[in-house]
Amino acid sequence: MKVTVNDVEVDLAPGTSAIDAVFAAGYDVPYFCSQEYMSPVGACRMCLAKVGAPRKDRDGNWILDDETGERTIFAFPALLATCTSALSEGMVIDTLSEEVKHAQNGMIEFTLINHPLDCPVCDKGGACELQDRSYEYGSGRSRFEFTKRHQEKHHPLSDLITLDRERCIHCKRCVRYFEEVPGDEVLDFIDRGGHTYIGTVEHGLPSNFTGNITDICPVGALLDATSRFRGRNWEYDHTASVSLDDASGSAVVVDARTGRIERIKAGLHPEVNKSWIDDGIRFGHEYTADPERITRPLLRKDGELVEVPWPEAAAFVAERLKEFSGKDVGVCIRADATLEEGVAALALAEHLGTGQVDHAPRYGPTVMPPAQATLQELAVSDAIFVVGDVSEEVPAVDLRIKDALRGVTPPPLLPHGVPIADLRLKERMPRKREILCVAAPYRVDLMRHAGTVARYDVGGEETLFRGLIAIAEGGSADERVLGMTLAAAKAFVDRLRAAKKAVIVTGGFVLSSQAAADAAERFARAVGARQLVLGPMANAYGLEAIGVLPSHARYDYASMVAGGAKALLISNLDPAADPAVAERLAESRLLVVHDMFMTATARLAHVVLPAKSGFEKDGTVVNLEGRFMPVRAAPVDAGEAVDVTGLVRELGLAFGVRIEGRSVRSARRSLRKTLGTDLEELTGLGAFVALPRRRVAVSVAARPGVRGRALRVPTMVRQEYLLRNPHLLATLGGPALRLHPDDARTRALSHDDEVTVRVDGVPRRLRVYVTDAMPSGVVSVPALPDAPAGPADVDLDGIVVERRRLEVA
Amino acid sequence: MSVLDIAKGMGVTLGHLFKKPVTVQYPEQRAQVAARFRGRHHLLRHPDTGLEKCIGCSLCAAACPAYAIYVEAAENDPADPVSAGERYASIYEINMLRCIFCGFCEEACPTGAVVLGHEFELADFRYQDFVYGKDDMMVGVTGSRWQRREAESKGKDVRLGLESSHRAELEGVDD
Repeated sequence: MKVTVNDVEVDLAPGTSAIDAVFAAGYDVPYFCSQEYMSPVGACRMCLAKVGAPRKDRDGNWILDDETGERTIFAFPALLATCTSALSEGMVIDTLSEEVKHAQNGMIEFTLINHPLDCPVCDKGGACELQDRSYEYGSGRSRFEFTKRHQEKHHPLSDLITLDRERCIHCKRCVRYFEEVPGDEVLDFIDRGGHTYIGTVEHGLPSNFTGNITDICPVGALLDATSRFRGRNWEYDHTASVSLDDASGSAVVVDARTGRIERIKAGLHPEVNKSWIDDGIRFGHEYTADPERITRPLLRKDGELVEVPWPEAAAFVAERLKEFSGKDVGVCIRADATLEEGVAALALAEHLGTGQVDHAPRYGPTVMPPAQATLQELAVSDAIFVVGDVSEEVPAVDLRIKDALRGVTPPPLLPHGVPIADLRLKERMPRKREILCVAAPYRVDLMRHAGTVARYDVGGEETLFRGLIAIAEGGSADERVLGMTLAAAKAFVDRLRAAKKAVIVTGGFVLSSQAAADAAERFARAVGARQLVLGPMANAYGLEAIGVLPSHARYDYASMVAGGAKALLISNLDPAADPAVAERLAESRLLVVHDMFMTATARLAHVVLPAKSGFEKDGTVVNLEGRFMPVRAAPVDAGEAVDVTGLVRELGLAFGVRIEGRSVRSARRSLRKTLGTDLEELTGLGAFVALPRRRVAVSVAARPGVRGRALRVPTMVRQEYLLRNPHLLATLGGPALRLHPDDARTRALSHDDEVTVRVDGVPRRLRVYVTDAMPSGVVSVPALPDAPAGPADVDLDGIVVERRRLEVA
Repeated sequence: MSVLDIAKGMGVTLGHLFKKPVTVQYPEQRAQVAARFRGRHHLLRHPDTGLEKCIGCSLCAAACPAYAIYVEAAENDPADPVSAGERYASIYEINMLRCIFCGFCEEACPTGAVVLGHEFELADFRYQDFVYGKDDMMVGVTGSRWQRREAESKGKDVRLGLESSHRAELEGVDD
């Protein structure tokens, strides 16, 4: 469809908005309320332009100009808001005439009537759309002589978001965002006219995706409380990277100043997270600036860990390693280590001559399903079956599922990027709930949006899938096993089978049992669905793909810490949180711990080496759909901390050998040989690389028998760092022991009590969270890297109340 | 060139011999600086409330062509505010070795908090003593760090080697 913008003719698809035509032609109009991936509403009236179009007469012929013989352009009687106007054939848009300029200038003046001019103290100053647009389109002076509207400033909308009601220009982006994107209607306009303000019914924003409103607010009304007054926008170093918080590979922008991370903003990746990230990613960075961080190597001398230079620590490790025969040494890295770190760990293990190399947390079953779905496929899927709590496990997947419910395909990219106003999107669109079935042992957030809900029993994933397979094969199954009625199950299985793009999403609950994972795969095959498996951490997929795996089932991480390895090098893991393991590790002859903090394991170590956080390293990760994505280091002062490649470099220097993977570049050279792809050339959007799909022959050690009905559940927030993230801690109140009100009553516990309870033998201090989301008789505790999601053994009889809620008050 | 021209030239020299000399016997005598002279910075307070004018907006640091200014802000405690408004500068540092005394910071300041004064005797011995903080520049502080150290050790008041006429922007500094 050809349209003319000023003097440029552009050819765009029908249905494109006029504002996108203007930007596609290389011109500019100001706007405040339109936002990528959200419905255009024309609230701010800023994007006015003079629009005209040719008309047809009654016979369907274009009305032509008598003199020139060309189509007559009939101008619309008033200026149009281009964001809500669809293109028509031959449309003529004028954004440069005096009339348009006068109107835009007037709108800026009108918007500024009640907007305070406190830009110097506003955290948005320097990155503010209103500031920029006033500069570009405003008159530069105010004729408004009266007192401006005064409303509440710095109102805490939640512990994470501060609202300045004076600055709000009523663009409605935040209100629309909550309804359209996460589907949590927690914010709305209150009052009328000039007195309108946004607010919540109660304190707090009960949603996992609240931080995004600080990104999309065109003014400084909604601000990130963690970065409040930390720096001005032009002072930050912006690093476009990938979040290592979960397996989604969400694009983020890390803003650092003077060697410290001050805030995380969402990056744009049209095929992964679009422009949204969850609060766990956005606000979970404060631990990197924790004063207790280890910044120099520590060596045990006379029983005390003392700071030493790197060469001394490395020489000590190299010297002591000579005492062991190669196969007695164990090397284990955490599953959010980059591919390059994985190569380094493998090369180190090879140099030492050991097969005891692993990554953790790792489940027995593979995270690389044979029929892999991508997130884009999920977003256009016509039948989705979810097992587990995906909203907490990988929240980005939750949002893509909600995209599928809206039933609008991802917008095509225009010359200027993502369409500013996608006219197919509407406010309060009907959702196709019927295409989603969510199954979990307790009530999960996504169930609110699901047409079919199944609540199966704890540990019942395998029987659930077996039941579904039986149904798919024309048989029947027990309703108690299915957690839903037989009719509902049959209907949904039929829907899955009939669907062209069915996707089955499974997480840690299914992965924690080999039989359940196998059943899930068989079911997917039976109904012809693709699978998305939520790995336990950011790079579980990649580390499995390049084979950071033990050479024998006996050599896995659990066996290593159980005494299989006489000398142990572990990175960012804390097995000694378990007192039984700690007892064994205390007797180990060499324990080298690479970590950011003094964990229980680090306190037992002979050598503690400082580790980098996920924001401080360069490398590559593979997200849950198999997409290779580059991680870039933000300029953060981490002292002498290194990642695993740096660790291997230092040890190599002490050994006097050049180990492969001694740097990111060296590791990439090695990966180029195995993958056939040069990761140096990977762009920000990442790429799919063909991987050999291997069946993981080894499985993790069998878990201890489960006594009660308890679960370790995935959480959006990284639990191992929760206590060092003050803002998130204030919001969540601490790691939660969730249980049903009846159970709380029988055990005389009340909401917010602080208790110590043994989880799989590990004492953990938790906060009682009473909720009817948990079935009676079932409790849940947050998963940790050393104890990933799955059935757990929680000793409820030995519960110790540390502090009652009433004492706090 | 004639003898007469030489005599004319010598005449000028001779004439100056009998004029009042412009040389100032600094530091015994005080140097006269112009009202608009740009010397060391002062951080001002609101005269009525005594609150700091600086709101920690960092615009001075942004305008500084020599990257001499570093500002860190913090939120005011409403019960006991440091500055008028929501934020104040918890750290405000100017590296006097880097500063080129161009006055752009003064021009950029939206509240008139930072003003270049008349003091120019900034010589000192160690690098870190040239990084002036809030304590060194807040209105009411007279003299450079070295001058104040010297005065304290001798138990006297700081003696500035300069005199100047009043300048309106230096509210609370000059008077």
